[in-house]
Amino acid sequence: MMSFARQANIIDYSLSSLWRRRFKSLGVMVVFAGVIFLLASFQMTTKALTNAASDILAFAPEITIQKMKAGRQESIPLEYKEKLAVILGIRAITPRIWGYYFNETSGANYTVLGLDPFSMPLGDQLGEAIDTGALPLDHEAVLGQGVFAELAGGGDAVIFSLFRPDLSLKTFSRAGVFKAETNILTYDTLFMNLDDARDLFSLPADMATDLCVTVANPNEVQTIAKKIAALLPDTRVVTRQQIQKTYQGVFGWRSGFASICLLTALAAFIIFAWDKASGLTPEERKEISILKIIGWQTSDVLTLRFWEGVTVSTVSFVVGYTLAYVHVSFFEASLFRPVLLGWSVLHPALRLVPSVELGETLLILCLTVVPYLAATIIPAWRAAIIPADSALN
Amino acid sequence: MFLNSWSLALSLLSLVVLILIAIAVRTAIKVLCSWDPASDSNRQIRLENETWLSSTLVQYAMGFQIMSLILFVLAADYFSQVISGAMCATGSLAANQYGMPTLQLKLLGAFLSGFWIILHAFDISSERYPLLKAKYIALICLLPVLAADVVSQTLYLANLKPDIITSCCAVVFGEGGESTGNLLGAVPQGALLTIFYGLAALLAIAGYFLRKNPRSSLLWLNGLVWLLYLGVSLVAITTIFSSYIYAMPYHHCPFCILKPDYGSIGLLIYGTILPAAFFGISAALAEVIPVRLGIKEVVHRFQRMAVLISSALLVLFVLVVSYHFVLYRFMGGE
Repeated sequence: MMSFARQANIIDYSLSSLWRRRFKSLGVMVVFAGVIFLLASFQMTTKALTNAASDILAFAPEITIQKMKAGRQESIPLEYKEKLAVILGIRAITPRIWGYYFNETSGANYTVLGLDPFSMPLGDQLGEAIDTGALPLDHEAVLGQGVFAELAGGGDAVIFSLFRPDLSLKTFSRAGVFKAETNILTYDTLFMNLDDARDLFSLPADMATDLCVTVANPNEVQTIAKKIAALLPDTRVVTRQQIQKTYQGVFGWRSGFASICLLTALAAFIIFAWDKASGLTPEERKEISILKIIGWQTSDVLTLRFWEGVTVSTVSFVVGYTLAYVHVSFFEASLFRPVLLGWSVLHPALRLVPSVELGETLLILCLTVVPYLAATIIPAWRAAIIPADSALN
Repeated sequence: MFLNSWSLALSLLSLVVLILIAIAVRTAIKVLCSWDPASDSNRQIRLENETWLSSTLVQYAMGFQIMSLILFVLAADYFSQVISGAMCATGSLAANQYGMPTLQLKLLGAFLSGFWIILHAFDISSERYPLLKAKYIALICLLPVLAADVVSQTLYLANLKPDIITSCCAVVFGEGGESTGNLLGAVPQGALLTIFYGLAALLAIAGYFLRKNPRSSLLWLNGLVWLLYLGVSLVAITTIFSSYIYAMPYHHCPFCILKPDYGSIGLLIYGTILPAAFFGISAALAEVIPVRLGIKEVVHRFQRMAVLISSALLVLFVLVVSYHFVLYRFMGGE
């Protein structure tokens, strides 16, 4: 057991030795911090996106029913609602119409969402997402920030028109604009009345895109979903929990894929670090043999090298991790967002909120610092076994 | 499910540990075949140098193994957000038959490498390296445990199935939506608590006497009781104490206490009981070192220190783990 005073002396010596070789040390630290920055940015962006998605999904309906035909989704007849009346525990079934509207002038796809906010539980809470204005009445629509900016062209237009499939014009007035905080979901959204959406897409009167089911007791969601699936065999029944897990899975998969790509950068860095640590200059050989002459043991030199490695890793980790935090929170992870979020024309201007958690930090530490420390053991040992008499040669 | 950062980090970490130990084992084999302390040949000097490398490698490997243990539990918590039916780390560890064995192997690996480092410290305390061959045989025995850890972990990750909405009928495939329940069934609370606190008191008293006079038979007994107490306390944490921490009578999870939601109190709980048991057991294991090797003084000093550390950590552990329980039972909750 080495005493604390002895360890402190070795740490002191290792810091001064790093400072003496500051350009060599700085080179390693800059590259290392860069690698940590890349990996940490990815991890933080993934975590922030998943958190944002699950915060928003907390208000999604517990169960969504979609009609499937030949493996594709198609409109669902409203009469399916009656078939479900036998299932106890369902609080409400709300039909929903949604689809994409292609704006030829800008090349952007808008998401059109039509539902009756007054007929569904928590529907009135939709109003909280609206920045200015109110829930849409007949021939009105609430616009996402991106849609508003494009349709109004920077002005303050209130009336605007969209094309029906037969190219006739349908006119709306603007009832309000969604809040910027909900941008991840609403940036490209037009929210309107059920009848207006049906008119815009020319859907038959007894059809909707899907049915949203609200369940009174959250413990019954899975059972009710199974009953629905049994009653309506031509439908796909999706629970909120599944959507959440899918989001998590997809973001996790993408970030894992990116991590694999970044592992090549890590491998390159490890080779660089190994090389730097192995290439002993004549001065370094001399230094170690002089240390041996004045009484240092092989184990002391190994401890010295350990503390040097820990210092380099700590500094690089703090710098890389801080830069990643700044990159994600102030620059909205602009380097990687397209990879994780998709590449639609209308990019939501997201405010990502990175969270620093013990688990995430340990994860980045294991992916970066552990390989570095492991790669420097053998070079450190090679240096430590230099015999005392080699300075005399 | 290898394609996410957690699986990658776990696999990387385990591979690094395995490679480090494999290099150390290479030295071990060379030493066992041709170690000759009387010789001053180049080969012998090279071997002596290599023994330094092998011990450094094992020390790093132990550090990484402990990190891998913590990361594995945290990863299990992350996986519970992705796989079907899992509510927390218990659910994802129970998602296939390799989860719990991997955790146990990781714990075993960390304990064994710790014992090896103590053996190494005894060995280098004498200039004659009296335990050299024994410690390298022990090192070779460590390799299969770590290899089993890597294999088991790889099988666990490979058999994890993320819950992705399928293109046809999502619910039918998303079976097992119910909570996967708890790791252990009902245990008689009163009896378990009596054993838990009784053994703790016994260990504290034994620690007090052993520190003054480390007697061989008592040390062995103490080590055995520590082994028993480690098992008892893990069961007690899972079935009794955890639900007081969560303030939920039906949530018996030994892993969620690590989460920041509960002030990461689990880190303190496991950070005391595991090292305490480690030192308690290693004080007993140190008794196998024969007196004739001439390092009895070093061994005794270590045993006294180990008994002191394990007793101090035991007191801290009992205080921390009982905090929520006492608060609820005797002071009417938070």
